[in-house]
Amino acid sequence: MNHLPQAWGRPRDDIYGAYNHAHLAPSHPTTHTQSPIVTGTSVIALKFRGGVVIAADNLASYGSLALHRREAAEKFNDKAVLGFGGDVSDMQYLDRYLNALAIRENYSSGSGAGEKASSTSTDASEEERAESLDNEGAGTGMAANNLHKYLQKLLYRRRSDFNPLWNHILIAGLSSPPPNAPDASPQPFLKSVDLLGTAFGAPSLATGFGAHLAQPILRRVVPDEEAVKKIDEATAVEAIRECMKVLWYRDARSLDRYSLAVVTKEGVRLSEDERVEGQSWEFAEGIRGYGTQVV
Amino acid sequence: MAAIFTGAPPNSGPGYSFTQTPAPTSASEPRQHAFYPYTDNGGSTLGISSSTFTILAGDTRSTSGYNINTRYAPKLFHIDSADPSSRLVLSVVGFAADGEALAERLDTVVKMYRYQHGKTISVGAAAQRLSHVLYGKRFFPYYVHAILGGLDEEGKGALYSYDPVGSYEREQCRAAGAAASLIMPFLDNQVNYKNQYMAGSGVGHELQQRDPRPLERKEVEELVRDAFTSAVERHIEVGDGLQMMVITKEGVEEVYRELKKD
Amino acid sequence: MSSPFSINGGACVAMTGKDCVAIACDLRLGLQALTISNNFPKIFSYSPSVYLGLTGLATDVSTVADLFRYKVNMYRLREERQIAPRTFANLVSSSLYERRFGPYFVSPVVAGIDDGGKPFICGFDSIGCIDFAKDFIVSGTASDQLLGLGPEDLFETISQALLNAVDRDALSGWGAHVYIIEKDKVTKRLLKGRQD
Repeated sequence: MNHLPQAWGRPRDDIYGAYNHAHLAPSHPTTHTQSPIVTGTSVIALKFRGGVVIAADNLASYGSLALHRREAAEKFNDKAVLGFGGDVSDMQYLDRYLNALAIRENYSSGSGAGEKASSTSTDASEEERAESLDNEGAGTGMAANNLHKYLQKLLYRRRSDFNPLWNHILIAGLSSPPPNAPDASPQPFLKSVDLLGTAFGAPSLATGFGAHLAQPILRRVVPDEEAVKKIDEATAVEAIRECMKVLWYRDARSLDRYSLAVVTKEGVRLSEDERVEGQSWEFAEGIRGYGTQVV
Repeated sequence: MAAIFTGAPPNSGPGYSFTQTPAPTSASEPRQHAFYPYTDNGGSTLGISSSTFTILAGDTRSTSGYNINTRYAPKLFHIDSADPSSRLVLSVVGFAADGEALAERLDTVVKMYRYQHGKTISVGAAAQRLSHVLYGKRFFPYYVHAILGGLDEEGKGALYSYDPVGSYEREQCRAAGAAASLIMPFLDNQVNYKNQYMAGSGVGHELQQRDPRPLERKEVEELVRDAFTSAVERHIEVGDGLQMMVITKEGVEEVYRELKKD
Repeated sequence: MSSPFSINGGACVAMTGKDCVAIACDLRLGLQALTISNNFPKIFSYSPSVYLGLTGLATDVSTVADLFRYKVNMYRLREERQIAPRTFANLVSSSLYERRFGPYFVSPVVAGIDDGGKPFICGFDSIGCIDFAKDFIVSGTASDQLLGLGPEDLFETISQALLNAVDRDALSGWGAHVYIIEKDKVTKRLLKGRQD
């Protein structure tokens, strides 16, 4: 032992030789995701009276290479559907992660605990409120708003660790009733969260190219929350299908096959094999000025 | 910073007895990243305090670049609203995700204070805690301009404004965010009567400044509306809706008003 | 900060009133944060009722002001009449566009009363795009701050607008000149303003 406390407990150079740090030190800086690799394009969604409709095409792209077929929309449970834009591997990671979460939720909440708390008084203490919320969720799983909050926290944490999940996610479904009105009917819920943890909700939402091409069309259908109450499921689905067509026409990284999900209190109807129908490319004839045609 | 944790001996102290001392590994050196963890969600906020109340306001548009994310994303947060005697409102503008995280942090801090001390936190103490919360992330800041409003122990309106790393000051009025440079001179002139002098009070240094007086609630609400309708005309990131929170001894009252959506 | 438009600092504003216009500027000349002079006017007259405000790079402010003095003198000799504000505005525009790919770093503002006695104001970018405005025009490093206020009593309004704006801009201030232009009268006032 010598008089240098820093050296105590360490292998001695005169016996073992100098420690070779090359074994331990990585020769390059640790890097996390710097850019998405295999990507999915737009996801679009729209609220209507009593539910939400969400759609995303089935294309996965590797740069400009089309890889076809991906799961773009995921059913989380009977109350929530997720739509993913951005990196597909991060999407699949989140899918596995959320599946594990859903299974855990279903085990811990149990199937027999469906009894709703009867306390509706508004002056209930916080503990009582929290309890009634727990029972409310029992057996039925997380509602869309709970799932959204969870994902927002997850993505914000990951960006704060400089290790982002490169996705822009739409969460569509039905929200759990507020704690002060536990018997209120579930409301349509639509919010988004991106790789920075930025979260916002609106009557209609679109990610990626859809924010430029589809969102203006959707905003004409539902300019505000008032308009949401006035349109029915059929109108909403038709608007979404129309937008998928526009995206197919103009987004080069898109596909004419898409997934479409409708969430109502009856549950989730997810169809993964929709097609863009009633296509007409006549408008392309009239387009001039991209350098290929002469007058 | 990170050099502290590498196991290398301190520069000033004695070295190891080894011929080769642990060198700082490359892991502790600055990393290069294409990923930028911030974005600007636009919008503007403003606060004015008076003798018996404080008003905070913010537009509800959320943007990224030239896109409008949504027309309703509140920037005003009633802190510890579960406590009926809470008179604290936080407004945040800048990076919205950081803003919401900050509001939740302050909400927790104020709740914990109430649970631990059995009383509601004073606005001065909350203001200092908020400064510490911001400074706690000095080297990875919350990218927001915060304004905290409330009522002080004498029942007077209190308003504190912050920079992103926690430097703070109590003021009569403050505008923050995208249109701050448009609104602030207007507030100087109309709230603190800057560049206004008493008629006939003399010339040059004899001139008497017009004394600022506590404004009425109606006057302040009109100033806020005027400031925002003007900001909407000249700044594209401001618009859609105006959310106002009026803090009086009766409680916190929320007022919403439409703004132009173009 | 190193943009040629904000090295020297400065502010200018023009407003219209009933049968009158006003144009005002600050007096500061700086080099970044250092104030070089507190008497550098940025408003120039080219006829009894045509005024030009120039903010931006000080060397270009002087050059452009002199260039237009020369051009307007030549115009007056050829035409044997005073130049009208709208004509002058077009002269400014085309002269700046001549330097499209090596521009003068200035943001001009024109204010005047035309032959019919009607108020005329307009602003330009540094390569001559005209911004015709009915109410007011701003330019300079304090232009953001200037946008907040609206017109009422013209002199009071323009003075309050300018003073409150330059008080919130570190690169502008140190006094101001205000011109109130009516059909056959021009009033020039020096505002002392804050000297800090």
